[in-house]
Amino acid sequence: MIYLLSITIMMGTPLLFGAIAEVIAERTGMMVTAIEGIFLMGAWAGFVGGYLSGSLTVGFISAMLAGLLVASLYGWICIYLKQHQVVTGVAINLLVVGLCSFLYRVIFGVPITPLTVDPLATIPIPLLSDIPLLGQILFNQTILTYAIYLLAPLSYFILYKTSIGLTIRSAGENPEAVDVAGINVLRVRFLTVLLAGVMGGVAGAFYSIGFLGMFTTNIIGGRGWIAFAICFLGNWNPKGAVIGTLAFGFAEAIAIYMQSTGSSALFPNELFIALPYIMTIVLTVSRKSFSVPAKLGVPYLKEN
Amino acid sequence: MEAAFFELRGISKYFAKVIANKDVSFSIQRGEVLALLGENGAGKSTIMKILYGLYKADEGKLFKDGKEIKINSPKEAMELGISMIQQHFSLVPAHTVTENIILGNVHGIIEQKLLGGEIKRLAELYGFELNPNDYIRDLAVGVQQKVEILKALYQKTNLLIMDEPTAVLTPQEAENLMGFVRDFTAQGNSVIFITHKLKEVMSVADRIIVMRAGKVYGDIKRNETNELELSKLMIGRDLNWITKDDRQESLDQEVRLEIQHVTVQEKNGVPALKDISLTLHKGEILGIAGVSGNGQQELCEIVCGAILPTKGRVLLDGEDITERRIRARIDLGIGYVPADRSSDGMIMDMSIAENMLLKSSYDKKWQKRGFINKKKLNQYALQEIRDYSIKAPSPETIARGLSGGNQQKVVLAREVDNGEKVIIFDQPTRGLDLGAVNHIHQVILKERAKGKSVLLVSTELSEIFALSDRIAILYKGEIQGVFNSSELTTEKIGLLMAGFREGEVSNDAG
Repeated sequence: MIYLLSITIMMGTPLLFGAIAEVIAERTGMMVTAIEGIFLMGAWAGFVGGYLSGSLTVGFISAMLAGLLVASLYGWICIYLKQHQVVTGVAINLLVVGLCSFLYRVIFGVPITPLTVDPLATIPIPLLSDIPLLGQILFNQTILTYAIYLLAPLSYFILYKTSIGLTIRSAGENPEAVDVAGINVLRVRFLTVLLAGVMGGVAGAFYSIGFLGMFTTNIIGGRGWIAFAICFLGNWNPKGAVIGTLAFGFAEAIAIYMQSTGSSALFPNELFIALPYIMTIVLTVSRKSFSVPAKLGVPYLKEN
Repeated sequence: MEAAFFELRGISKYFAKVIANKDVSFSIQRGEVLALLGENGAGKSTIMKILYGLYKADEGKLFKDGKEIKINSPKEAMELGISMIQQHFSLVPAHTVTENIILGNVHGIIEQKLLGGEIKRLAELYGFELNPNDYIRDLAVGVQQKVEILKALYQKTNLLIMDEPTAVLTPQEAENLMGFVRDFTAQGNSVIFITHKLKEVMSVADRIIVMRAGKVYGDIKRNETNELELSKLMIGRDLNWITKDDRQESLDQEVRLEIQHVTVQEKNGVPALKDISLTLHKGEILGIAGVSGNGQQELCEIVCGAILPTKGRVLLDGEDITERRIRARIDLGIGYVPADRSSDGMIMDMSIAENMLLKSSYDKKWQKRGFINKKKLNQYALQEIRDYSIKAPSPETIARGLSGGNQQKVVLAREVDNGEKVIIFDQPTRGLDLGAVNHIHQVILKERAKGKSVLLVSTELSEIFALSDRIAILYKGEIQGVFNSSELTTEKIGLLMAGFREGEVSNDAG
């Protein structure tokens, strides 16, 4: 059980990265539907950077840049060219899939055995990791998990207790109000999308160099979309995102656990692999009230 | 002479090829109330948006205290002490009063309590009753406007621009607002308000700028002019205004439409309509007065069949039609001119002829072997274009290309034909220029003379008074009372609209 919960936290880490990125951007009215592509690009760039340099730090920086790049393309098309967010996101996601496998082959050819790097090691925190139960679950994780421990409350604080957060939230509810207050709505939106790109890039790299130590084009397998769904389920609030992430992380942990123990006699393993996706549908349908940002998905047009 | 506080000199603004403002020049002094008077589309809002930095002028210069200034954004305008309250408020409904006021004005960590106290004190200074922690979505429109004003005061504004500030207020709220304007300017500040209501102009303005078709047609002191002169300047011609004397008394007392104890429950449990009972006779215009959002739309939709009542019945000529859906009611002869023509009344990207067909497309008369009989439809549409003097080259003209008034006439033409027995007009003249308003009023009276029954919903009291035989007042989904229109004064109806009941309104009010 401790193992299971520990995996939950670990697998929840990239989801929370993505979900919080999504929450911040969606609060300004921008659905980052390119999140799946950002994850994948991050995974690819993280692996390439990490493999070629031999340094995971370089890998993660590459992932951030790659995420930033995809996000800036998405943001430019949706915010400045005012195109439809869903359509643009889907197109970019498809583009990234092709681009990643193409570039992977250009760089590495078609290796017989998959190329690997040593994934991110866990860092037990002195003293804290010695706490019974909780220590193993919470404080024997990778540096990314510790980062999200800080980022999650920080994002909540910024969103609800600072003027930046007020601007972000207002931009998604009534961009005219922000405009009239003398703040550039488009810039606010673009910057949050870029931030989502950086965070999403890190999340993607978690799967390649933080966990598996290798890259395949289906490595993300819809987890970007799950981060997207967690944002919805969490009611566009970092607190809700944490709860949603734990649920999905747990489902994923069970799948991994079943896979590793091979106890698939009772239930087929595929069922557990599918569990997060089934949960997405069930939870989305069963939620009763949403506090959707009023202008979510609506481009801001100013007549002039 | 001392230099003007702010001055606009030779401002022009073009949208694509359309002239919004042409060579507009005027000034405002400290402590002055300036009224910007004109019809819809006269360019009043545009010129003010230029002063507020929302639009960039194509030509012309701005001055403050005699020195030339450039205003490229609302931020720069605010730094110069200019604030503007938009016609549609720029508030965030999901946020609190405090959060709305400090947006863009406070930086760093937000100390809710401290700021809330500050805002509360500021509000008290001007006699506004406000709780800084209330959510905007829970506030009445009049209170929301106070939040907008506070936002400006919080920025220490010296020139407050208000775009049609009284459009959403009850007469009493409007009176309070005018009181504030006097207090505010008495301290040496200036106010510009944009309006098309002559009465307001005469009651509060020191000076009046009349605009028409993007140009200034008059710059007059209030005490040197009168309403007649202003209206001529504003419209550019004389209008034949309908007065009650033009109409014959309604003779027919036969009941046509009955609404019996109708309640409409909203999803959140709050009733949009509460136990409404109304009777509409043949050849009668029943005016529904009230501040918008008090159940008017639901009332219209109950009659046209778009929503079904939770409780109660609707009867047409004695027959229970409560369960009949929209199409059945169209066939029964109920026409409906909705308040928002662009979303509920027509399809903007279709032609006039197609829009005429919209609500009777299933009718055999438009068909020829299963296809639309284009020729017949076009002939019909052409006839309507002539009858209603719709300014359009042909029935094939796309609706979007028409002016608001002509679009409204298309909807009107269709619904007048559909509504053989009852026609519902929801805000039939909102946003239209006076010429179109006049035309539409005449159409409504003509249909009444034919014996049709008219349900007229309007937030413009002048319209209600000019046309209605009887007037019912809606407040929070309830009928405050039904009166013969001669029994009511503006004062009395204002109190009823604000939620007072008949017994509470003394007869000598007004």
